[in-house]
Amino acid sequence: MSALTHQDGPRAAPGFLRRLLSSPSGAIGLAIVLLLIFCALFAEMLAPYNPSKMGAGGRFLPPGGKHLLGTDEFGRDMFSRILFGSRITLLIGAVAVGISLTIGMAVGMIAAFRRGWVEAILMRSTDVLFSFTETLIALSFVAVLGPSLQNAVIAVGVAGIPFYARTCYAAALVETSKPYFEASISAGAGPARLVLVHLLPNVLPTMIVVATLGVSTAILAAAGLSFLGLGAQPPTSEWGYMLAGSRDYINRAPWLMTIPGIAIAVTVLGFNLLGDGLRTSLDPVERK
Amino acid sequence: MSALLSVKDLSVSLGGKTLVDKISFDVAPGEVLSIVGESGSGKSMTAKALMGLLPPKASATGTAMFDGANLLARDTQTLRGTGIGLIFQEPMTALTPVLTIGLQLTEALESHGLCSKAEARRRAIEMLDRVGIPEPSARMHQYPHELSGGMRQRVVIAMMMLLGPRVLIADEPTTALDVTVQAQILDLLRQIVHETQIGLILITHDMGVVAEMADHVLVMKAGKAEELGPANELFASPTAAYTRELLKAVPRIDAVSAGTELDAQTLLSVRSITKTFQTRGALFKSGAGHRALDDVSLDVRRGETLALVGESGSGKTTLGRVIARLTSADAGQVLLEDTDLTGLAGRDLQARRRAVQMVFQDPYASLDPRQTVGRTIAEPMIIHDALTKAERKQRIESLLEKVGLGVDMARGYPHEFSGGQRQRIAIARAMAARPTLVIADEPTSALDVSIQARVLDLLEGLKQSEDLTMLFISHDLAVVRQIADRVAVMRNGRILELGPASALFAAPKHPYTRALIDVAPVPDPTRKRGKRPVLQGDYPAGPLKEVDAGHWVAE
Amino acid sequence: MWRFLGTRIAMGAFTIWITTILVTLLIHAVPGDPVQIMYAQSQGTTPEQIEEVRRSLGLDRPIPVQYVMYMERLLQGDLGATIRGGQPVLEVILQRLPNTLLLAIAAMFIAIVIGVPIGFLAAYREGTLTDIALMIVAIAGISMPHFWLGLMLLFIFALELGWLPVSGNGWLNLVLPALTLGLSNAAIFARLTRSSMIDVMSQDYVQTAFAKGLPKALVLRRHVLRAGLLPVVTMMGLQFAFMMGGAIVVENIFSWNGVGRMAVEAIFQRDYPIIQGFILTFSVVVVCVAIGIDALYAVLDPRIRRS
Repeated sequence: MSALTHQDGPRAAPGFLRRLLSSPSGAIGLAIVLLLIFCALFAEMLAPYNPSKMGAGGRFLPPGGKHLLGTDEFGRDMFSRILFGSRITLLIGAVAVGISLTIGMAVGMIAAFRRGWVEAILMRSTDVLFSFTETLIALSFVAVLGPSLQNAVIAVGVAGIPFYARTCYAAALVETSKPYFEASISAGAGPARLVLVHLLPNVLPTMIVVATLGVSTAILAAAGLSFLGLGAQPPTSEWGYMLAGSRDYINRAPWLMTIPGIAIAVTVLGFNLLGDGLRTSLDPVERK
Repeated sequence: MSALLSVKDLSVSLGGKTLVDKISFDVAPGEVLSIVGESGSGKSMTAKALMGLLPPKASATGTAMFDGANLLARDTQTLRGTGIGLIFQEPMTALTPVLTIGLQLTEALESHGLCSKAEARRRAIEMLDRVGIPEPSARMHQYPHELSGGMRQRVVIAMMMLLGPRVLIADEPTTALDVTVQAQILDLLRQIVHETQIGLILITHDMGVVAEMADHVLVMKAGKAEELGPANELFASPTAAYTRELLKAVPRIDAVSAGTELDAQTLLSVRSITKTFQTRGALFKSGAGHRALDDVSLDVRRGETLALVGESGSGKTTLGRVIARLTSADAGQVLLEDTDLTGLAGRDLQARRRAVQMVFQDPYASLDPRQTVGRTIAEPMIIHDALTKAERKQRIESLLEKVGLGVDMARGYPHEFSGGQRQRIAIARAMAARPTLVIADEPTSALDVSIQARVLDLLEGLKQSEDLTMLFISHDLAVVRQIADRVAVMRNGRILELGPASALFAAPKHPYTRALIDVAPVPDPTRKRGKRPVLQGDYPAGPLKEVDAGHWVAE
Repeated sequence: MWRFLGTRIAMGAFTIWITTILVTLLIHAVPGDPVQIMYAQSQGTTPEQIEEVRRSLGLDRPIPVQYVMYMERLLQGDLGATIRGGQPVLEVILQRLPNTLLLAIAAMFIAIVIGVPIGFLAAYREGTLTDIALMIVAIAGISMPHFWLGLMLLFIFALELGWLPVSGNGWLNLVLPALTLGLSNAAIFARLTRSSMIDVMSQDYVQTAFAKGLPKALVLRRHVLRAGLLPVVTMMGLQFAFMMGGAIVVENIFSWNGVGRMAVEAIFQRDYPIIQGFILTFSVVVVCVAIGIDALYAVLDPRIRRS
């Protein structure tokens, strides 16, 4: 657009990455998330066995030996299943958050920008939905659509919308009342310019933090649904579903329960830490 | 007289940085020592060090002898309050919101074991009465949010005085208050010093307050003591260059008015503007809202600077925002060169907006943190003017030069610049729209005095060179006197007096204007006044009547 | 204060009203014929029977008429009958609701009793090793899926050590589910308490209290704790709703006979009247608790109490 920004390009706050990495939580979180993405991308190459191949080396083999994390009730290799599970888990997180984030941000920014009755209708209904809680919304959705992984992800995504809308609305309201925004109105900027050039870039940092933390919530919620049998169906290597299946062999093969649980916890921890780290390093550059 | 508190070579450092560098001073009984300096001078850190309330990672060296003990070398908890008291700047946050005023007044008396519960209550009520709070025993059961800012500051003072300290440190105690309330609080402090013979350390940035209050003055800059001496001498013949600079920069209400009255045509005409803000209740609409503007009419002439003056809640900012169409009026018209701005909407309004530009108070929130300075200044041109990139770049550079900044700053982001620089950038942005009217809403209130002076000079210069008309909104009469051609005094959403600056300051016709001028601190200790008339009750606020040529007063 | 509470109660009533509409629409959102789907799993249902059910549910009428019918019955306390067994839905729910409430309240108690002191301690020792260690535990606690925590507790305390029963509905049976739900939420309370306390400690009024020479313990107890706990109280309403949601999963792990377990079974069996009743009950409980918490807040905060 302008000659000036063209040369500079969009620039994050200086030293952003350095600050992220210098906070322990940010650094650890980023490492975990990168590792997960790596596993998800190269699951075929990393996995020693086909995750759905049964009875390769015997059932209920404890961790160690040829099967790093043991085998399950059908003799499938747990390590391979976990690796492929990371792909599903990240996909769940990304899609669900994608749904919540795009719709939530649109609702929040429109409400803060238009004000008046648009604001009233959007935010009142958001309040009502918010008080239903995400679990109930997700459960109702699954009840209507029927149990499947796809429906569970949609349900979790939709259930998150009220929270994202509220957060974005609050952030946008702060920005629209700042003098720089009013100065832009005075300069004659139209709605498109105000929203895209000023509002969006300024609420984005907040929303990035919310979305990163939101990946954790979404993964937990979807895994919870799968655990109840309302999400992923066999033979998916989804961690929550694997955990549900392990209940029957809790005495015989406790690792079937421990391993997917740790996988979920570490993933969620990674996104939580990264979100915390982002929050401190994206904090408004100008603190007096 | 021997000193109550004797500070020698006090230094405070935090994380390797020296915030206060070897300062020394004495405070005698019944004496007011003023520590004056701009932001970052270390004056507040000095107070915190004496109180033993430094942040955990900061450390203090040197000696501060009080009552035979070195305050810097021991745990001062038992001396806090009873030996040395502290009053903060912001009365709105200095009292715990969830506790009653009575409890907050009496708890320290009990905790120090000074008296019984009943006795503490009796003393608290007596002290509230002494600091001028009406119905003191009823106040004991109230919570802080139920009192005004001035009342809360009185409560804080009472809270500290109850403990019978011999030294009181007041850190900008009136900065957050309106001038009329400030005058009352300063009077109260002076009276307390006189009656109890305590030593008062008054920390402030305001040379006017210093002149009115101080016996001795310590001038600080960047952690160092620049000058220490008796107030009269320091104001009459300052020795340090910095003190001279500071005194020169202070705008004076008793200066000869620069304002000239122009006999030009009307550029802007405000007709019977009314604005009521609804108090927000989600479902139950409250009957009457807050009336911010009540039938306000006003003409601004081409090429003049008209100042809107008033205390908080006077409606001056709302009027500015209505003219800039950032707030919509309930009724009335704003005519700019015969176009009614209140009647415009959509694209017509967007196109017309460039004629009226604003400069805001807060330099930190005035610029979009995610845009380069160049892009911020370019915005009005991008919207309104079809310029090539080269032309635009050239204009941005010439604007930056005009406001006294380097052309290479265009590539920087706002957070790289100081408050004064940011305000210059905001002015450049306003100029980029080539406006006919600039509304400056307290443009220098958040800045240090020395920077304020330079920004005011810049505005004045631009007004001449760019042929601008300016609406200058301020609470500070001294600043207004320096810059305004005409002045409108506002209170509770009405204009009470409107006239040429010279006439209005020399011979104010309305009692409220007189009171405002009377209470404004003057940086001249020889003009120390006695107790001032209490400013209360109603002022005439009827329709304006012309008493002199161009001089209007409310009946 | 009454205006504040009045607004909250009106909002709550509005929420419940919206729920009744959504619940009526729910059954129409189901892809395909809901009645067919409901009976797909049971053998030997005749077309006549299906028509009968359709009529009794009012599904042959226009939607607004259905809504009026539904509301009429609802106001008489009739939530319909279950598809399987034909029991009154209200009865089925009321039978189990106390169990769920008991679980949520016990979990809330655990979460507060553990979480708030930890948060306070961490704030008090901000920046020290204690603080860092506590916050690591807290973030790990938040990251742990509670269904997994439940399984682990079940495995350790019920199966390996044999201290507590695996499932059932006695008092001892309450311990593990309540711990499962309480511990995850204790971490949330700990983090919230910490940040709220740190915020309050930097306020001028705390500095003023110190400037009066009050001992640290008194400043913390009187000035910091009172003001710092207000956001925690606000959070309790939301947290209770989360616990009700979490109870759905936890009840299934421990076979706790509450409404959550009932709802999941109903989803599998496509027993829509139960699902409708569950959603309605859930929102009524959440709204009531939220209003209760708001009332508590209004009493605790003088700025609202005396306005």
